[in-house]
Amino acid sequence: MRSVRSFRSLGVAALAVFSLSSPASASSGADAPDRTANEHADTAPKDAAPGKATPKDTAVERASFEMAGYQDNDAVTVFTPSIALGIDNASGATLRATYLVDIVSAASVDIVSTASPRWQEVRQAGSVYGEYKPRDFGVGVGASLSREPDYLSYGAYATVRKDFSEKNWSLFFGYGLSHDTAGRCGADGACTPFSVFSRNLLRESFNLGVDLVVDRQSLLTVTGDLVVEDGDQSKPYRYVPMFTPEKAALVKKGESIKDVNDNRSPERPLEQLPLTRRRFAVTARYARRIGNSTLRASQRVYDDTWGLIASSTDARIVFDVGKRFAVWPHLRFNVQRAVNFWKLAYVSRGGTGWDLPEYRTGDRELGPLWTAGGGFGVKWYIGGAADPERFAVQLSGDAMYTSFLDDLYLTSRIAGLGALGVEGAF
Amino acid sequence: MKRTLSRFVMLALFTSVTSGCAHVAAYDRAKLAHPMMTTELEGPAAGHVLAVQEGATGGGSLAESGCGCN
Repeated sequence: MRSVRSFRSLGVAALAVFSLSSPASASSGADAPDRTANEHADTAPKDAAPGKATPKDTAVERASFEMAGYQDNDAVTVFTPSIALGIDNASGATLRATYLVDIVSAASVDIVSTASPRWQEVRQAGSVYGEYKPRDFGVGVGASLSREPDYLSYGAYATVRKDFSEKNWSLFFGYGLSHDTAGRCGADGACTPFSVFSRNLLRESFNLGVDLVVDRQSLLTVTGDLVVEDGDQSKPYRYVPMFTPEKAALVKKGESIKDVNDNRSPERPLEQLPLTRRRFAVTARYARRIGNSTLRASQRVYDDTWGLIASSTDARIVFDVGKRFAVWPHLRFNVQRAVNFWKLAYVSRGGTGWDLPEYRTGDRELGPLWTAGGGFGVKWYIGGAADPERFAVQLSGDAMYTSFLDDLYLTSRIAGLGALGVEGAF
Repeated sequence: MKRTLSRFVMLALFTSVTSGCAHVAAYDRAKLAHPMMTTELEGPAAGHVLAVQEGATGGGSLAESGCGCN
């Protein structure tokens, strides 16, 4: 069992950022996209003497906390507490920081099939982002860090945005660069140093998009993404069973661990994925205000050089219930075709030495599947009568059913995700 | 050929939706300013679940780093 390491205080940096701000109150440009962030009303006291008025602090500080839990019928449990802090200044400056912890406990069929015990792991991730957009042109920079005992990832990114035609449409471009290092920890919790064993992955991300005011009630965002990944992202814990050609032909979808072990060849090599991957995606997000409700929908289509093609559709309708509540149903559907080296049963031919397929995987998220999910959410505004939205409590829950169309061990998975969050503006 | 076609469809989708929108004056955007038009309703945990469960997820965010699923 890999050890659960104590939490490190990445959040200290975020809290430090938060503490640098001074108390203030003002309206936010984020809630009024038809105004530039520095177009707030003049808030200087009317009786202030000319030349002696102290500039009023127009910063808005935001904080939120969420506790989420995930459970599926493949014995995977995840708890994820997270915090997010932010400052929006009327000058157009924005600073955000996030920190989260994933506490994962798993005894999934993939773990059981390798005769490994239940394991637990803790991941910590943090990010900071700053943006300056005084008028119709803005730039932003950010950085992120994710750490777990056997995985380290860090990256940085930059964005630029330009508004046109009185903010009826905006163009944005982003570039990100990140580096992942995957290592390995043993069942006793001891981890091999990265200097002794590690696999590295370099990722460059480009995105180009446009925000559009469609009409008086509708907004549309379309984003194109290109991600260039170079490196070995094969999982160093994932062993792939091999079969003779004759036995491979008899393997059935959802074959049990016992039947696989009874029929597989002695060799069981580690997963090996291609060392380069190019991902392409186009995402459209649409929002429309209809009476006292808001339709939010998105559609994403995806293609990559491994042959995986996918479509994800997501929709919810948010109903305003008085001034204090918003409730919504949520639906999501994802379908994907397998990567082009996907096999239900990989063949290793006999003879001297092993004759293994160059690429092999047991990652069912690279196989053919579809997932249908749905749930509900409610947001309760608990601010004062003059500004009820200043503080809010949000509760949401979703259930997901996944059908694995060509996999060993599992043919389906049922999962639930619940989250309780609080947020406030100060 | 199929891949070329799918990328062409993506490009066509991207370009076609960037035209044909009406000009809306700033004073006429009250409905667009409603918080639910832009507020993020999913927390970081939901994004992580999708990143792990959908092979196509990823690349939508420049800030991503690691999925915690090694």
